[in-house]
Amino acid sequence: MTVRNQVFTNMLETLSRDYLQGKQEVLRLSAIALLTGGHILIEDLPGLGKTTVALALAGITGLSFGRVQCTSDLLPSDITGLSIFNRDDGRFSFQHGPIFSNIVLLDEINRAMPRTQSAMLEAMEERRVTVEGVTHHLPDPFMVFATQNPSDQSGTFLLPESQLDRFLICTDIGYPPEHLERQIIAGGGIRERIGDMQPLVTADEIIVARRDVQSVCLSEKVLGYIHALVIATRADDLIQTGLSTRAAINLAQAAKASAFLAGRDYVAPEDVRNNVVAVCAHRLVMRNEMSGSDRGGVLRTIIDRIALPLA
Amino acid sequence: MVSIRRLSAILTYVIGLCGLIPLFPWLETAPRLILALAFLSGLWQELRGSWQIKPWMQNSAIIPVFLYYAVQFSRSNPVQPVVSLLAIMLAVRLSGEKTVRHSQQIQALSLFCLASSSLFDLSPLFLVYLGLMLLLVAVALVLLTFQDQESELLVSRPELRQVLMAGCLMPLLSLPLLLFLFPILPRTQMPLWNFLAAPTVRSSGFSDKVEPGAQASIGESRTLAFRAELIRQPPQQLYWRGTVFNRLQGQRWIRTEAVPSEQPLFGGQLVEQTIYPEPAASRVLIALDRPVSIALSRLKRSPDGVFEYQGSAGKRLNYSARSESKGSVATSRAINRLFYLHLPGPLPPKMKQLADDIRRRGTNDRERLELLEAYFRNGGYRYSLRGLPTGERALEQFLFETKQGHCEFFASAFALLLRSAGVPCRLVGGYVGGEYNEMGGYYLVSEDMAHVWVEALIEGSGWIRIDPSSFATNAGEVWGAGKPRSLLLRLRLTLDYFNYQWNRSVIAYDFEQQFEFARRAGKRLQGIDPARSLRATLPYLVLILFFGALLFVVRRTSLFSKREERILRRFIGRIERDYGIDTRQGQMGLLEIAEKLGNERASEFVGIYAGALYRDRRLTDEEYRRLRRILRAGFL
Repeated sequence: MTVRNQVFTNMLETLSRDYLQGKQEVLRLSAIALLTGGHILIEDLPGLGKTTVALALAGITGLSFGRVQCTSDLLPSDITGLSIFNRDDGRFSFQHGPIFSNIVLLDEINRAMPRTQSAMLEAMEERRVTVEGVTHHLPDPFMVFATQNPSDQSGTFLLPESQLDRFLICTDIGYPPEHLERQIIAGGGIRERIGDMQPLVTADEIIVARRDVQSVCLSEKVLGYIHALVIATRADDLIQTGLSTRAAINLAQAAKASAFLAGRDYVAPEDVRNNVVAVCAHRLVMRNEMSGSDRGGVLRTIIDRIALPLA
Repeated sequence: MVSIRRLSAILTYVIGLCGLIPLFPWLETAPRLILALAFLSGLWQELRGSWQIKPWMQNSAIIPVFLYYAVQFSRSNPVQPVVSLLAIMLAVRLSGEKTVRHSQQIQALSLFCLASSSLFDLSPLFLVYLGLMLLLVAVALVLLTFQDQESELLVSRPELRQVLMAGCLMPLLSLPLLLFLFPILPRTQMPLWNFLAAPTVRSSGFSDKVEPGAQASIGESRTLAFRAELIRQPPQQLYWRGTVFNRLQGQRWIRTEAVPSEQPLFGGQLVEQTIYPEPAASRVLIALDRPVSIALSRLKRSPDGVFEYQGSAGKRLNYSARSESKGSVATSRAINRLFYLHLPGPLPPKMKQLADDIRRRGTNDRERLELLEAYFRNGGYRYSLRGLPTGERALEQFLFETKQGHCEFFASAFALLLRSAGVPCRLVGGYVGGEYNEMGGYYLVSEDMAHVWVEALIEGSGWIRIDPSSFATNAGEVWGAGKPRSLLLRLRLTLDYFNYQWNRSVIAYDFEQQFEFARRAGKRLQGIDPARSLRATLPYLVLILFFGALLFVVRRTSLFSKREERILRRFIGRIERDYGIDTRQGQMGLLEIAEKLGNERASEFVGIYAGALYRDRRLTDEEYRRLRRILRAGFL
């Protein structure tokens, strides 16, 4: 069976070659989120291209793009939209907020008030918005690109664990390698060029690919591997709360999408292992004394202890 | 689920049988009866699940038996009491409950019983029983250790298979030791104890006199007489010469040792052969007619082509011989014709008339012989083993009335008439025919092929072989050359081949050869030459190393893993060796390995293997072959 993933590998290749050098990993994870219908949270310092990645992804998929810059005085209706009285018609009409786009960038989500955050997160989960008793469905595909700056402390509201759990993937970007950074500096920003991007992927193609991803084979062995990992996190001394069942479901989905991008119609243990930090680390609740420790590192040591199912 | 207890009980009975069956025929009646009863009562109690016979009963029952046989034991009768006691002890244990301890005792006693049976008889079957018993005991011991831990243990079938495999592996691993011991350990050429009672008496067949008319019928025995290793001969030449009867005494042809001298002239093609006779009371050495020479020490050779062994009879021996098989032998020196014309007295009138008629009509010996042959051929005689004439007039009755008899009748009547017609002649006793065993390249001759024929001395030609029995009207049926071989016969020949090989390579393996071997070894040790001694021990060293390596491999990898596991192990081993990378004992994923190597073949391997593994299916045969091809090609 041949896997119809050429469109996506092509897209990733074009993006990382022409626009976002040195950001293959975050692009790959974004593609995984896109293919599984999940959302992605990018945690990193300002100026490393968080917003650019989201913009570029929207540009190359030709999907509609909405952006919300979160502030502490942002109201839920600023995101969802609101009904405005139309004097000519003599009745209220609903004005769609920025969330009614295929790709929504929620910049610095931790600056928004919890009330606003929860409204956004509800929309992410339900894929619909109810305003004044009327339910409005969000477009399909729908994907939230949230960013937050972990070093900011004052005037921020950290996302609670239950809400972090709704993000399929949480990752950082990191500084680009030296030679690439010099290139980027020499070339200047790419914001202008993103506007001229030719879409390589259509919404229909994404929806078809999502079905393909769902049909990727997840064998008993790999399933056992995932489950062993989840159990191990629950038993680990450093961790207060291990991975939830939703986390395991998401990990399996991400592994399927990863296998799909690699051109396989079955999931290998590597698909699980390569994505486990991005998918699961942010969902771990560490013990109090360990709260500052590197959750990704803990997760990596746990998974290294579990033998790969090789035979 | 299988109950370990039940299984080990079954094994215990089988082991007991393995020890008892070979010994049973040699036991006296009382131990035989006790054994049969004990075995059956043991089985019966086993099936009922309750044990009436308690250990204290067994133990107290054995004491009088022991005392009885202790009294029986003497220097002249050392074996029977010991063997009987052994058998009865085994019987007693078999009749009681099979605890772990008792099962082990049964195993040990069975082994002793089997070993003691070799005092009586050493047949290839002994090896079969021994092999079977060692295998079973190993398995049973493994099971017993489980039973010892928990008596009512139940195991699943896969677990049981593992246990059985481990049990079977143990005796297999001891095989190399066996190979090592085989040339060293002394062995007997005959049963240690039973050589006097060895059944060497033959029911029919070859004997030291020819006396037609002594019995009304003859039973045929298909027991083996000898095997002769030689290339296939034309069937009409298959006469195996044993002895010569040169004098008629009343009704009886006998052999007098005072054989007149003769000088045979051999000029034709000689046939090489090796004869493996079965142990027998007779010392006559058989060879294809007519033997020119036989290579054996302590040999007595008579001028008329009879060879006798002077050593002790009943020993298993083998010898090589050379024969000329064309059916007539010229002689250089004049032969004492009178000796071969001797008759004990006047013939009955009818026979005398026939002989005189032949003497008159024939002008010389050859014509007279031809006339007598024609008489036999046209006389309507039948070859038969039943309805034989008996008494003083047996030959006369055979010739003129009943006209049916076996080879002795044909040959004696023929020789008698020939002598009274004035042609010197004698009787030759031996065998005719034989089943050729292609597998081993030898003839199989049984006792029912024993035969008597006539040799007539014809001026100018020497001794000519005449087989009067072949003039019978039904000779074709009896010695049918073109008889199709039945499946049963072919099976018998195949079985016989193994028996033959056993005798040849195990039983007849010569003590002298062993002695020579030991002597040479001693000599070598004296003049130590490192290079030579290394060369001599190298085969053993290689053997030991080989099995050591085998053991290592077996320990490292279970022999019985799935082929997927095997091929993966080979793949990883190969990769680690070829690329010097460490896969950290399965911590490195297959795709990760393939990516790291960037090798096309490795990627293909991983693609096929992972494609099957992570789709939850086994490798197909085709995929498996492909993977093996990739592995063979290597990754460099």
